[in-house]
Amino acid sequence: MNTYVILRRNGWKTADDLREAAARSTAEGERMPDEVAWIRSYVLAETDGTVGTVCIYQGASPEAIRKHAAAAELPVDEIVKVADTVVVRPDPVPVTV
Amino acid sequence: MWAVPGVVETMSNLLEREECFAVLGSAHRSMLEGRGNLVFVEGEAGVGKTALVRHFCEQHSNGSRLLWGACDALFTPRPLGPILDIVQAGAPELGTLDYGRATPYHVAAAVVRELEERAPTILVVDDVHWADEATLDVLRLVARRLDTLRALLVVTYRGEALDPAHPLRIVLGELTSGPSIQKLHLEPLSAAAVAELAGPQGVDAVELHRVTGGNPFFVSEALASRGEGVPENVRDAVLARAARLSAGAREVLEAVAIATTATDLRLLEALTGTIDARLDECLASGMLVEARDRTVAFRHELARLAVDGSLAPARRVTLHRLALEELAARPQEAHDLARLAHHAEAAGDAEAVLRFAPLAGAGASAVGAHREAAEQFARALRFADGIAPQARGELLELRSRECYLTDQADEAIAALRDAVECYRRRGDRRKEGQALGSLSHILWCPGRGREATQTGREAVALLEQLRPGRELAQAYTTLSFLERQLGDVDASLESGIKAAALAEELADLNALSGALGQLGQSQLAAGLREGTQSLERALAIAEEATSEENVADAYFGLAANAARLREFEVAHPYFEAGIAYCREHGNDLMLLYHLAYLGQAQLEQGLWADASESATLVLRERAVSTLPRTMGLVVLATVRARRGDPDVQPLLEEAWALAEPTGELRRIAPVAGARAELAWLQGDFGAVLEVTDAALRIAVRTGSRRELGELRSWRKRAGADEPFEERIATPYSLQLADDWAAASEAWTTLGCPYEGALALYEANDETVLRRALDESRRLGAHPLATMAARRLRERGAHAIPRGPRPSTRRNPASLTAREVDVLRLVAEGLRNAEIADRLFVSRRTVDHHVSAILRKLGARTRGEAVAEAARLALLEDR
Repeated sequence: MNTYVILRRNGWKTADDLREAAARSTAEGERMPDEVAWIRSYVLAETDGTVGTVCIYQGASPEAIRKHAAAAELPVDEIVKVADTVVVRPDPVPVTV
Repeated sequence: MWAVPGVVETMSNLLEREECFAVLGSAHRSMLEGRGNLVFVEGEAGVGKTALVRHFCEQHSNGSRLLWGACDALFTPRPLGPILDIVQAGAPELGTLDYGRATPYHVAAAVVRELEERAPTILVVDDVHWADEATLDVLRLVARRLDTLRALLVVTYRGEALDPAHPLRIVLGELTSGPSIQKLHLEPLSAAAVAELAGPQGVDAVELHRVTGGNPFFVSEALASRGEGVPENVRDAVLARAARLSAGAREVLEAVAIATTATDLRLLEALTGTIDARLDECLASGMLVEARDRTVAFRHELARLAVDGSLAPARRVTLHRLALEELAARPQEAHDLARLAHHAEAAGDAEAVLRFAPLAGAGASAVGAHREAAEQFARALRFADGIAPQARGELLELRSRECYLTDQADEAIAALRDAVECYRRRGDRRKEGQALGSLSHILWCPGRGREATQTGREAVALLEQLRPGRELAQAYTTLSFLERQLGDVDASLESGIKAAALAEELADLNALSGALGQLGQSQLAAGLREGTQSLERALAIAEEATSEENVADAYFGLAANAARLREFEVAHPYFEAGIAYCREHGNDLMLLYHLAYLGQAQLEQGLWADASESATLVLRERAVSTLPRTMGLVVLATVRARRGDPDVQPLLEEAWALAEPTGELRRIAPVAGARAELAWLQGDFGAVLEVTDAALRIAVRTGSRRELGELRSWRKRAGADEPFEERIATPYSLQLADDWAAASEAWTTLGCPYEGALALYEANDETVLRRALDESRRLGAHPLATMAARRLRERGAHAIPRGPRPSTRRNPASLTAREVDVLRLVAEGLRNAEIADRLFVSRRTVDHHVSAILRKLGARTRGEAVAEAARLALLEDR
């Protein structure tokens, strides 16, 4: 499995919509555990008032990422491969799902 | 293996396995609720996989039926061995097949029926790392159907036994995605567990754990041998244990050791004399156990190996000879050919090997166990020094074919060359010519096209000197194919005509369908439409002659050619039929060809998810023929590049490495095109010119219209200002002439939306660029959309939408984005012709969209559609 960054800009109108999407994402991810693994996400405060995310996933391939996104009805703007992870400081706020 | 093992053995195998039992238990419950499951149980030899599964089955014997099949540790196992085990134990559906000829597809269908008829069932297949190819195929096919069956499939294997090329790896890779598949890894025992077992015997548990590594089998053998200190390895432990038996009992052990599979009592008698107390002693000691159907076997394969390894060579040969005599004397229906060939070789009996191994090979081939078949023929050849060149040549040809079917190109070629030599020495020119013809075909597959064509011409030259027969017709057919791959369409046409004419004259249906297949493709390559009729005739004749390979070839020819002409509605049914046919008849190679070309067609139609799936299926397999792999790589790389996804470059590098040495435009041009596309999307115009240079030279030389058009188009986009050939076809010619509007329309009519958007991008018009932007977004072509947006901004355009809008729910009527666009314009009161102008598509396309809209909204008129859309708030700007 490779590690990918997924950009989902302006993906949802409200935080509630995003929460629903997160639930779908988890459910679909459990159906394909050998193809994708959701690591973490940062929720983005977009300038137009919508929410977006930057997601870190492990995936068997870019197609697996897209297959998961299609099943969970999540937008995919861009997929970028992670070459290396550099953690300098821990996240400033606890990350919850 | 159903005997009750000793206490130590039981315990050592079941300690620390609670989690595994929990997983199996929950899978079992799942199955009872109607959701079938597959559980892999993996671990090193002796770690207790079989014991675990056996115990689990015993615990759940109420309420579910048990079917158990095991794979033999034979180097060349009996094809479909585990299935035959199950049939013997009693499985009505499975009993209906003729196992001499059933393909994996049919066997799998029968297994599924068996599981459906008498649910719920636990189906165990033990030691699958030793499975033959046919069994692996059956497993793969059955696993796909599991979630609708009330069955639990448990498969055990040794992970360490799988080298990188082992076929089981591919099956595992294919099977690991899916909700109903789990993998259990069994660990050796912890020091604490070993201490628990060793405690009562007062053995040094720490030392025991260190030496055995916690391997349960080793631990129990070491404890049972009760010697001074701990034996150094499993072999020593087993032999130490055996040493405590009487000499007579050890004779019995040795006899059972050479048998490799369970030994029936009659065989045992033949090997060691009357069955008596010696056997009882072995059973009492626990070294041998009673197995199914009144046979005896070692408790574990490791023990058998240890005893077998300790045999003096002369004694081993004697035992194998006796076993061979006894088994060969049995009635023919009971012959296990693989086993007989094995004993014959171990006994050094050349005559017996030459009698049984070829039969075993033919039998294995007939059921799709080609790997085993190749090995059997190799075995026969090892003992074939004294036989006549004719017979040797035939064996070599048989081996070559099996090697070809199992991705062993070099071995296949070597065997055929050897065969040619045999026939030449014997002066059998007809057979020599035929073997040369086969060789020319096999040489092409790993990409040695020039060598192949040379060999093909040699074959034809030789056979033309004899009275014309089927071999010559086939040689012409192969040559036609080879010449076409190298781009010599005229020569290919000539060879094809000769092939067909001769085959008609000979009234040889098989040869004729093959000949017409190649002739048809050559005719189409030459631009002659009657090629399609030739191909259709080839299909009809192949079906009539039930010539499986020719049917598959004919379907493929029809599908691939329609796809090349971009007649996608014609191509798809042929692809579907061809793929189904190949699957059913186990023609893995042609299946790959179908999938590769289907992927290409799906790519061109903008069906990128489907295209990537087709390509991924191709890339999972390794095949002797590298063309499907090259195409699969190109398709997947292109999908990723167009989407802006990562992992493109490695695919293209591999594709280029496969294509470039062949010198064939058909392989090189697509890779060059894909590399050019990637470079262009990255803005590296210099690279575009660089990567298309070599391919362009070949295209110019061979005059291939389409490849010329594609390559020149990329170069033009990269800024090249080169003259172009008149013969270049539309839509490429339109692009090269700067008529981008017509080009876009032409691409859209052909059903190629991305190419259409690319053509729009070349425009210098704001409205058109917006169309390009919309279309790229709709397709998910992120890089092209970014480029279109950038061009718009550079022209000072305003209000460029930033990206896909968030939506809280899916479009309730499931209108596509394009259909929503059209509907908006309908709501503004435009007629279809006006809409067509506004959107730069043909009137026909708009008619099609409007009728789809009416259908989806359940409306009878445009007015109703607009009203319904308003009601559903479909046209709201979000």
